[in-house]
Amino acid sequence: MTKEKKVSITIDNRKVEAKAKTTILQAARDNNIDIPSLCALEHLPSYGACRLCVVEVDGIRGFPTSCTTPVEDGMVIRTDTAEVRTLRQEVLKLLLSEHPASCLFCEEQTDCKNFQGTIRKVGVTTGCRYCPNDDMCELQEVTKKVGLTETSYPVYYRNFPVEKEDPFYDRDYNLCLLCGRCVRVCNDVRLNGTLSFKQRGKMTTIGPAFGRSHLEAGCEFCGACVAVCPTGALSAKASKWSGKPDEVVESTCPYCPIGCTLDLKVKAGEVVDVSADYDSPTEHGLICVKGRFAIPEYVLSPDRLARPTILKPEGYDFLPWEEALDEAAAKLKAAGPKNTFVVVSPQLSNEDLFVAQRFAREVIGTEAILSSVIFDLGSDLRSFVDLVVMSEQIDTIEETKGILTIGLDTTYGFTPLGIAVKKAAKKGAILVTVSEHECNLDMLSEEAFQSDAAKWPEFMDGIMKSMSGNGTRKSKAAAPLFKKGDRNVVIIGPDAVFSGKRKEIFERVLAMRDNLGWKVIVCHPYTNLMGMLAMGALPGLKPGGLKSDGVLKLKDPAGVVDLKQNRKVGYFIGEAPSPEMPKCEYLIYENALPAPSGFDPNLILPAGLFTESPGTTISSEGKILTFNRASAPFAESKPDWWIISGIAARMKKGALKYSSLAAIQSEIKKSIPGFSGKERRVPRKKVVMEGKAAAAGNPFGPCRDAAAPAAFRGVPLHDHVAGMKAIEERRHK
Amino acid sequence: MREYGLLGSNILDSDFSFEIKIKEGAGAFVCGEETALIGSIEGKRGMPRSRPPFPAIAGLFGSPTIINNVETLGTLPNILRNGPDWYTRFGKEGNRGTKTFSLVGKIRRPGLIEVQLGTTLREIIFDIGGGVQKPFKAIQTGGPSGGCLSEEFLDLTVDYESLASAGSIMGSGGLIVMDEDTCIVDLAKYFLDFTQKESCGKCVPCRVGTKHILEILQRITEGEGSPDDLLALRTLGDTIKKGALCGLGQTAPNPVLTTLRYFRNEYLEHIKDHTCRATVCKSLIEYRVIKEKCTGCQSCVRVCPTGAITGPRSEPHNLDASKCIKCRSCYEICRYDAIAGDAIVIRTAERQS
Ligand code: SF4
Ligand code: SF4
Ligand code: SF4
Repeated sequence: MTKEKKVSITIDNRKVEAKAKTTILQAARDNNIDIPSLCALEHLPSYGACRLCVVEVDGIRGFPTSCTTPVEDGMVIRTDTAEVRTLRQEVLKLLLSEHPASCLFCEEQTDCKNFQGTIRKVGVTTGCRYCPNDDMCELQEVTKKVGLTETSYPVYYRNFPVEKEDPFYDRDYNLCLLCGRCVRVCNDVRLNGTLSFKQRGKMTTIGPAFGRSHLEAGCEFCGACVAVCPTGALSAKASKWSGKPDEVVESTCPYCPIGCTLDLKVKAGEVVDVSADYDSPTEHGLICVKGRFAIPEYVLSPDRLARPTILKPEGYDFLPWEEALDEAAAKLKAAGPKNTFVVVSPQLSNEDLFVAQRFAREVIGTEAILSSVIFDLGSDLRSFVDLVVMSEQIDTIEETKGILTIGLDTTYGFTPLGIAVKKAAKKGAILVTVSEHECNLDMLSEEAFQSDAAKWPEFMDGIMKSMSGNGTRKSKAAAPLFKKGDRNVVIIGPDAVFSGKRKEIFERVLAMRDNLGWKVIVCHPYTNLMGMLAMGALPGLKPGGLKSDGVLKLKDPAGVVDLKQNRKVGYFIGEAPSPEMPKCEYLIYENALPAPSGFDPNLILPAGLFTESPGTTISSEGKILTFNRASAPFAESKPDWWIISGIAARMKKGALKYSSLAAIQSEIKKSIPGFSGKERRVPRKKVVMEGKAAAAGNPFGPCRDAAAPAAFRGVPLHDHVAGMKAIEERRHK
Repeated sequence: MREYGLLGSNILDSDFSFEIKIKEGAGAFVCGEETALIGSIEGKRGMPRSRPPFPAIAGLFGSPTIINNVETLGTLPNILRNGPDWYTRFGKEGNRGTKTFSLVGKIRRPGLIEVQLGTTLREIIFDIGGGVQKPFKAIQTGGPSGGCLSEEFLDLTVDYESLASAGSIMGSGGLIVMDEDTCIVDLAKYFLDFTQKESCGKCVPCRVGTKHILEILQRITEGEGSPDDLLALRTLGDTIKKGALCGLGQTAPNPVLTTLRYFRNEYLEHIKDHTCRATVCKSLIEYRVIKEKCTGCQSCVRVCPTGAITGPRSEPHNLDASKCIKCRSCYEICRYDAIAGDAIVIRTAERQS
């Protein structure tokens, strides 16, 4: 490693070292010298608008802003002279004349904080709450730092209407400082370009150009702008008034296999808000709308299942856990192994999956461990798993020369990947998009092909032919773009995975990978599919099936169990029943939110969610990630593994008894490669299909709809998260 | 030019390539600032950015860039044709050559002029411009962000240093001549209104500060000012000059600061006496008919857009102040009788009595 170049500078009579090429502001902060600032922010290009970080530098005229001035060897900087201080105060006064300052200069401030006193004639003591950002506001901090105690200018309230029409967050530009952080994060970090400055002079404001709504302008609702806003101008609808969080818990997003790191903000024992972690090595904080906004409303849904419930002839009735577990055990035992099936969700944690498969195999004695993956993908499961297991890391995209996306739109999901593609394209990689409708990556693409999914295989043939020398006329445009020997990556999105032609598409992708050296990335909704493979939660696949040599021996589920056989008892663990799945007479439904209408479970077991019951999951890159506990269990709900082992204990004495998560984890460590290692990464190399193959085509009728809404544990997010409705509507337009 | 091999790649069979591309801007004032200009050419919003790095190091699309205005390029052919010695004959030590100005305002011969650097303002106004009809009052140099100089500066030579020492700038080469009919406070307000609207809105001092200055000037012209306002104007002006990001902001307070310096009395008249000696500030003036002089000619009745003046022919007219919008039409038209003189007068400072 080459050592970073350093320069030596003098700040306030102190000789300090600074990295070459940084700004004065950064150098000062690195050396614990505080310079107030409102528009500068790590990860964002410097801007120099708030003028609070002015300093004096020998040899530079006037008062340069430290956030924009690069350090030079031998520079002499003064950050705290009387003149600098006055200038800062004057500028801040001006700034505050555009911004309501009641929270900054209220005489009652201290008393109000201490006693929540108010002079209103009410019988209770209340504190004023005029701004969602109170107590967390950078403007409040900076005002204190700059030492301003009053402002002499009249306030020009700009009287903009508060914008509330778009989902997820509100915008009150009367509080806006025009620091431009949101504009920069949207354009320079998210590469989205929804936000820009509008108008000039005192009329300047922020928003999408041409007066469009955020939804129309292609906003991803990633909430990055909300997170960087130093004031209360932008605020998440759901958590607007919850105030300063008591605690922040680092966890993992459970909504897709990218597994972004999330900081869960906890207030009064509830997860009220979420923010991204820009230092996370996988997604670099570029989370999508689901991770950012769809968690609090889902986990705090008023529909959460609170107590064990049983269906009686006269209707539903609550019952204590003991009785509920007895009931489940009795029903499963009575039906016997041949007449029972278990359905697990690919969005369960490793621990829950591990316990669930053991339960099915060792307690019930069946291989009928079903899941939505099997029913969605049918006989294409093998090639799908092959592609998934061998998926590349997101980071590889940056170094590729050519990128081909098929059926991928990353507006409302897989944003870390989408942004990596955009970055690569900006840097000069050839990007070709293939999709049914316009997609968000088209803008930066060399060629954007819109056609019916039925034509995609043919198109891919064209690309392959062209790479081996003789291009067909049809894909001539795209043909010469990709060169053999270059680093190329093909990314298949959900629209391809769930298209009627996916069998053919998978075949092509496999050929591109194996014959032409393309790298492959698959975007799919099965969060812990890797965990299912490692834990052996598929028919005929034992735990540790993902061998330490990386070879996965997969049996065709249809060859192991009869997938169409209706049975007496069905035990759904964190999954909702669907019409493609086999029917059962007695339905045990273990989940956090109610089953879809049309299915009336006979027994309902309330399960805890990832914010309440910790666990691990495996990302598509094979990394083992952790869900940390952020809140207490909801009402009487219990972790999935607790419920399963409770039932097991009643069916077969001593067969399966876990008293803690740690006990499960130590067992997993013993039997599954990768878990105990330092790297916490499961091995991935090669998928081998064993046993007889099922008949071609999908045995379950039409495959899952590509347009199916985003769901977690079988429950569509938009049923419980208000803003997701608007997102789904827009997605289908 | 392409035909002659002067434009294109490898011009005149050399290994030098020369291309010209003309890019039309949308015409924002701030895009005259070089970094905003670059942004605008790049297809971005025309907003300045901080320097350093200077454009000569990282400018258009991040490449080293040299920015010249048309005037500079326009002088090149002559210098090339006649040689540098010829060119340096013009001007004075340290300020060589000539400069074009647009001479406008209350001057007899307005127009574009080119003078040697170092010419005095007096020469420009009275020789070249042919002088002023009414008594000379002030001259604004350097366009809307320049400074306003009073009579005592008439012998100032026009060069960069002299203008700067007087608190003004050479700027865009605008020279606006004013006579006693111009109200200085109103003038400052006019220029600030312009810069305030044209501020790109990026940095706080310029966006908010100019707005505050404008509001204070507005108050003063309405007779609502207080002596404290003058201090506030100074402080604001200084803050903006020191704190603003780009040239637009840094020079925007110039009209206020210079008029405060050279025409302080006029500000004080507005504030303390509630008079506007140039009879421009509408809130401070009132129109009246002087009954003894009015011949009842009806000219004013015809031009008054609101019907504020009434009265039968040949009898003194009546002016209803509540209807009057102070448009000045009657005052301008009332020239009927040389003996009677102007029968309609503009009185200031009556409001308060
Ligand atoms: S939510 Fe994301 S995409 Fe939308 S405006 Fe904010 S930063 Fe841009
Ligand atoms: S909305 Fe917030 S982040 Fe955006 S410019 Fe205004 S204050 Fe800054
Ligand atoms: S990209 Fe996937 S893991 Fe990341 S926030 Fe979105 S749904 Fe969660």
